[in-house]
Amino acid sequence: MRSAPFEYHRAESLDQAVDLLATLGEDARPLAGGYSLVPMMNLRLARPEHLVDINPLGLDHIVRDGAVVRLGGLVRHSRYAVDTTLRKTFPLFAEASSHIAHPVIRRRGTLGGSLAHADPTAELALLAVLYDGVIHVSSARGRRSIPAGEFFKSAFTTALQAGELVAELEVPVPATGSGHAFFEFSERKGDFAIIAVAALIRAAKGRIAEARIACAGALSAPIRDANVEVALVGQSLETPGALEAGHMFAAAHDPMSDIRATSHYRRHLIAELVRRAVEKACAGAGGAA
Amino acid sequence: MSRTLERPKSIGARVHRLEDPRFLSGRARYIDDIRRPRMLHLAIARSQEAHARIGEIDVESALALGDDIRVFTGADTVGLAVTANAEYPEVQFSQQPLLAQGRVRFVGEPVAAVLADDPYRAEDAAGLVFIDYENLTVLPGIAVARAEGAPTLFDGWRNNLFVERQMKGGDLAAARSAAVHTVRRTYRTHRQAGVPLECRGVVAEYDPADETLTVWSSTQIPHLLRTYISEELEWPETRLRVVAPDVGGGFGVKGQIFVEEVLVAWLALQTGRAVKWIEDRREHLIASIHAREHEHTLEAYLDGDGRLLGLQADISVDCGAYSTWPFTAASDPGMVAKVLPGPYDFGAYEATFRGVATNKCPVGTYRGVGRPSAVFSQERLMDDIAAELGLDPVDFRLRNIIRRFPYKNVLGFTYDEGSYAESLEKTRAFLAPDIAEARRTRSSDEVRVGVGFACFVEQTAHGTPDFTRRRVPIETGYESARVEMMPDGSVLVEIGLQNHGQGHETTLAQVAADALGVTPQEVRVRHGDTLTTPYSVGTWGSRGGALGGGAVHRAATEVAGKLRAIAAHLLQAEGQEIVLGAGYAALAEDPDRHIEIAHLARAAHRNLERLPEGMGPGLAALAGCDGPADGTYSNAVHAAVVEIDMNSGKLTLRRFVVVEDCGVIINPMIVDGQVRGGVVQGIGSALFEQFVYSEDCQPLTTNFADYLLPAAPEIPDIEVHHIETPTPLTPLGAKGLGEGGAIGPAAAIANAVSNALGVSVAETPLNANAIWTLIQSATSRSETGE
Amino acid sequence: MNTICLHVNGVSHRVAVEPRRLLADVLRQDLALSGVHIGCAHGACGCCTVQIDGAPQLSCLTFAVQCDGAEIETVEGLGGHDAGHPLQKAFMAEHALQCGYCTPGFLMALAPFVEQAIEQGRIPEADEIREAMSGNICRCTGYHGIVAAVRRAIHDGIQGDSP
Repeated sequence: MRSAPFEYHRAESLDQAVDLLATLGEDARPLAGGYSLVPMMNLRLARPEHLVDINPLGLDHIVRDGAVVRLGGLVRHSRYAVDTTLRKTFPLFAEASSHIAHPVIRRRGTLGGSLAHADPTAELALLAVLYDGVIHVSSARGRRSIPAGEFFKSAFTTALQAGELVAELEVPVPATGSGHAFFEFSERKGDFAIIAVAALIRAAKGRIAEARIACAGALSAPIRDANVEVALVGQSLETPGALEAGHMFAAAHDPMSDIRATSHYRRHLIAELVRRAVEKACAGAGGAA
Repeated sequence: MSRTLERPKSIGARVHRLEDPRFLSGRARYIDDIRRPRMLHLAIARSQEAHARIGEIDVESALALGDDIRVFTGADTVGLAVTANAEYPEVQFSQQPLLAQGRVRFVGEPVAAVLADDPYRAEDAAGLVFIDYENLTVLPGIAVARAEGAPTLFDGWRNNLFVERQMKGGDLAAARSAAVHTVRRTYRTHRQAGVPLECRGVVAEYDPADETLTVWSSTQIPHLLRTYISEELEWPETRLRVVAPDVGGGFGVKGQIFVEEVLVAWLALQTGRAVKWIEDRREHLIASIHAREHEHTLEAYLDGDGRLLGLQADISVDCGAYSTWPFTAASDPGMVAKVLPGPYDFGAYEATFRGVATNKCPVGTYRGVGRPSAVFSQERLMDDIAAELGLDPVDFRLRNIIRRFPYKNVLGFTYDEGSYAESLEKTRAFLAPDIAEARRTRSSDEVRVGVGFACFVEQTAHGTPDFTRRRVPIETGYESARVEMMPDGSVLVEIGLQNHGQGHETTLAQVAADALGVTPQEVRVRHGDTLTTPYSVGTWGSRGGALGGGAVHRAATEVAGKLRAIAAHLLQAEGQEIVLGAGYAALAEDPDRHIEIAHLARAAHRNLERLPEGMGPGLAALAGCDGPADGTYSNAVHAAVVEIDMNSGKLTLRRFVVVEDCGVIINPMIVDGQVRGGVVQGIGSALFEQFVYSEDCQPLTTNFADYLLPAAPEIPDIEVHHIETPTPLTPLGAKGLGEGGAIGPAAAIANAVSNALGVSVAETPLNANAIWTLIQSATSRSETGE
Repeated sequence: MNTICLHVNGVSHRVAVEPRRLLADVLRQDLALSGVHIGCAHGACGCCTVQIDGAPQLSCLTFAVQCDGAEIETVEGLGGHDAGHPLQKAFMAEHALQCGYCTPGFLMALAPFVEQAIEQGRIPEADEIREAMSGNICRCTGYHGIVAAVRRAIHDGIQGDSP
C-alpha cells in the first residue's frame, strides 16, 4: 500500500509555489500537512504526478484586521485551542477542532488543506460557511476571493481552479455578545462526523436579531438554511422555538445514507443537534439584552 | 468452591516481563525485519470480483516494467492448496488453491503472484495484471446460499453447506411436553475481522549449502506450518525449518495456515531466491480471516418455577468461501452447539449446526471463536426469559446455575470445580449502585442507565480426546517442553508454544524457577523456532499457561530431582530431603549444610567423577503435558453499565466489571492484561467493529477509517476481580484464560441496553444507528402502553 | 532519485531516495531502525509515530524527501538499548505492552505529553491522558496499563524519582 511514482518539488515562497503549480499543470498537487492527501496516495486513490511541498511558506498568521480575522492557509489545527485572538472572537474554532481526528493529526493538518480537501463532514468548512467567510486563493494569475457559500461544490469538489492555492480565510468578526454553539455526533471521538451543526445568534433586547445555522454531514457539502434562519428572527432568547427550528431544518433536506447512518437517522440527528445548538447559542447570547 | 492457596515463591508474583526491554527499545525483530540477501518481494494480484470464472490473465504490462518482474498464476500451481476438512460424512470436501484455479470465490482471493526486486515495484506490477472475469451468481449471505435452487459454490456439492450436524443429550421431547413456559428467540452477531496490529508476513529461503528451506512467518503455529508445507510441497521435514519471529499480535487470526504461506515457500523453491511477502492493511481486512457472523434460533423449555428443563438450538454461521486450516468451517458452528448449555443445570438439549458457504472472506478462529456469539445468544436468552417470567435476571440465573462439582453436563462434558454462583453474586454486589440508578432512570426521556450481566464458562486447555472427537486436521492437545540447566546454573527452556504477547518468556520462567530454586531472571525461554523446540500445535485455545506451564513444570521437576540427588550425594546425606531455593540446595533438616546449585550444574556437565554411582551426565529433561480429556473450565461474569442519550442514540460505556476464575494464577499482572485486552476486543465487537459487504459481496470497510477499532477515549476503566479455584486436572492447578475477556462483553452490553430501554436486543453491532432504532421501538412501545 | 540528509537519533545519514518512499520505509530499510513499525499506512493507528524536529508525526504519511535536513528521533533514541527513559521504565512496571507492536508509536507520541505535564507539575485526569493517546491503537492491552504508565511516569517525574 504505497504511492505511485511522482516528482517532488519544494517551494520556498508563495510566488514560487504558484509558479510551480502553473508550470507543472493539472497533475500537480500542493502538499501541506499531507494527512488527507498521503493516505489517498498510499491507497492509490490519488495519483498526482507532481507534489509541490508548500510547508516552507509560513502563511500561518492569525491576525485581527479591523472587522475581520485573517487566518493563513497553513495554520495548523492545533493552533485554535491556544490562539488568544481567535478564542475571543471565534470560540468555535477551538471547540470544533477538538473533534478533528487526534492530537498528532491536529499538529500537522492545515486550514487550507482541510478547505481544499472539502470532506463533506469537515468541521472547518462548516465554520467557514457559518461565519460567511471569504476564501482568498492565489495562483500564477493573481489572487481572487470566493465566498464560503460558493466555495464548497460537492464532496471533495471546490471552486478551486487548476493551479490555485488557498492562501487565507477571512472571517468577519461577529458582534460582541453573540452566542456560538457547536455540536458534533460521531461514532468515536475524532471520527468523521455523522452530523455536525454550528449556530451563531446575535441578539437585541432579549430577542434574536440574526441567526445562522450551518450543518455538515447531511449532504455533500455544508449547508445553511435561510428559511430556518429567518423564522428564528424575532423569537425570544428564552423560548426561541429550538425544537421547531430543528424539525424545520431536518424536514427541508434529504440527508445521505451510508454504512455509518441511514438517511432517517441523520434526519433525526439534524433536528436534535440544531435544537441543541439554537438553545445553547441563545443562552450564550443572553447577556446582550 | 474457591479455596485460599499456599503460594510458592515465583508463581503468583507480579514479575515484570523479562522480554519487555527488546520491545520497548525497538530491538524486537518482527517478520518485516527479516532481511535476506538478494531477496525478492511478492505482491499479490487479488480478485476484484466476489464470484467469477477467470478467463485470460494479462501479465504483459506487468512484465514490461522490468527484467526483475516475474508473474505466476494458477496454471503454475495446479494441485497446490490449503485443504481443511473434517472426517465426517456430513462434511462436503473443499480446498482453497494457492492461486485461483479458473474460478474466484471472494473479493481478495489470490489470483497471481508478482515478484520484483523491491516492494514498491512489486505493487506497481501487481496493479498491471489484468484479469478477465465472467461473473457468476453471488451468494451474499446465509439466506440466499440456503435458498432452494441456489447455485453451489463448489462443483459437486449438493447444497452450500460445508457441514451440517447435530449434537444432543437427554430427552428433549419430554422437556418440551413438560414445559410450562416456552421461550423462542433468534439472535444474530455480525461479521468482523480480528485485526492484530501487525499484518501477516512470510519470508522463505532455500539454502543449497545445507539443502534446507527456511520459512519465517508471523504465525502462532510454527510446527503445524512446517508439517503442512512438508506434506503439500513434498519436502522432508528434517530439511524444513519454520521460524516465528516476534509476532505483533495473533488473537487466533495467525493460528490458521494461509495459502500465502505455502505460496511464498513454493516461490522460494521455484526462483532459488529468498522471497518476502508483507501483507498490507487492506489485504488483511478483506483476505485474512473474518469471524462472528452467526444466526442462532433458540427455544427454551421451563417448568413452573422457572427452572430450565431443556434447550433446542438451530445454529448457522456464514463461513465465507473456504474452510480454514486446521479448525475447518465446522469450528464456529460446532463450538456454539457445544458450549450453549453454559453454566446452567438442565438435562435435555438438541442442537443442529451448520457452516454456510458464501462469497465472502473465509471465517477462521478469532479470540473466543464461536463462544462470543454463543454467549451472546445464551445470555440474551436468559435475560429475555427472565423478562417474560417477571423475574430478576440475576436471581433467575442463580436459580439455574450449576453449584455442585464435578458436573457432567447434558452433552457429557465434565466441568471441574468452579465458582459460578459465587462470581455472579459477587458481581451483583459490585454493581448495586448502578442497578439502583438504572431503576431510577427507567422512564427518562433524556438519559437512561442500564446494567447487564453475562455469565459463562469457558472450556480451555483441551486435551487430545477433545480434538480426536472433532476429526479435524488438528488432532492433539499436548504440549512439550525441554528444560536444560547449563554448566553455570542458568536455565534454558525450549517450548514449541509461540509467544505473541502473552508473556510466556516470563510466566514459563517463573514456573521453571520455582521448580529449580533459581530466579526467573536466570531462566531463558526460547520459542517459535522449529529447529530448537519440541513439536507443538501452537498458541491458541487458552492453553499456554495451563499446558505449557504444566510441561515446563514437569520437565523442570525432573531436572530438579537430579539436582537433589547430586546434592545429597555431595553433602553425604543420601536419603535425606533436599530443598532447592535462592540458588542453593540445602538439607531440609539442617539448612546450614548446603551447596550452590551452580556447583551442582558444573559437576553434572564437567566433573562426572563427583556424581553418584551410575548417574549419567547432563541436566536436561523433555516432558509433555496433555490437556484433560474434557479440558478444564474457567468461569467468569462480565457486567456492563451503559448510559444512553435518548435524544441522540449515543451510548457511553460507563463501567465494565469482570469477576473471573481461571484457577491458579501464575502471574497476576499478565492475567489482568489478558483479561482487559480481551474485554476491549469484546467491546469493539459489540459497539464498533463491523465488516460490511455490499449486496454483491464487495467489501466496503477496507481501511481503519471505515472499520473502527476501540480507542482509549471510548474505554472505561475495566475493573477486574479474581477468584482462584484450582483445578486438579493440570499440574499447576491453572486453567486457561487467554480468550475469556473477549467472550462476555457483547452479551453484557446488549443486556445493559435491553435493561435501559426495556426492549430485547437481538443483534449486534450496537452502534449509534442501532441504538437509535432500538430507542424508537422502545418509545413507540411506551406510547402504546406496552 | 533525490539525495537527502537525515539526522536520526543524533547521527547524520545521506540517502538517495525515490520521492514516493515513505519516511517509515527509509528509516526501517535504509537505516535498519526496526523500532519504526507500520500498522496501516494510512495514518489511523499511530504505530509509525516518530519525532520530526521535536514533534510527534506519522512516518507512514511523510515522504522521506520532505525531511531533508530534519532532526528525527525514533524509539531507539529514546532510552537506548536498555530502554532507560522514564516512560519506558513505567511501561515495564505497569505492563503497558504485550506484543509490543504498537509500543514505539505510543512512546514517541506520549513522551512529549509526559514531559510537558512534569514541567507543569500536574498529573492530568484520566480522560485527558486517554485523549492524548487517542491516535494510537493498541489491540492487546486494552489501554489500562498504558494509562497507568503515563500517570506513573508523570508522578515520578514530578517527585524527581525514577520508577
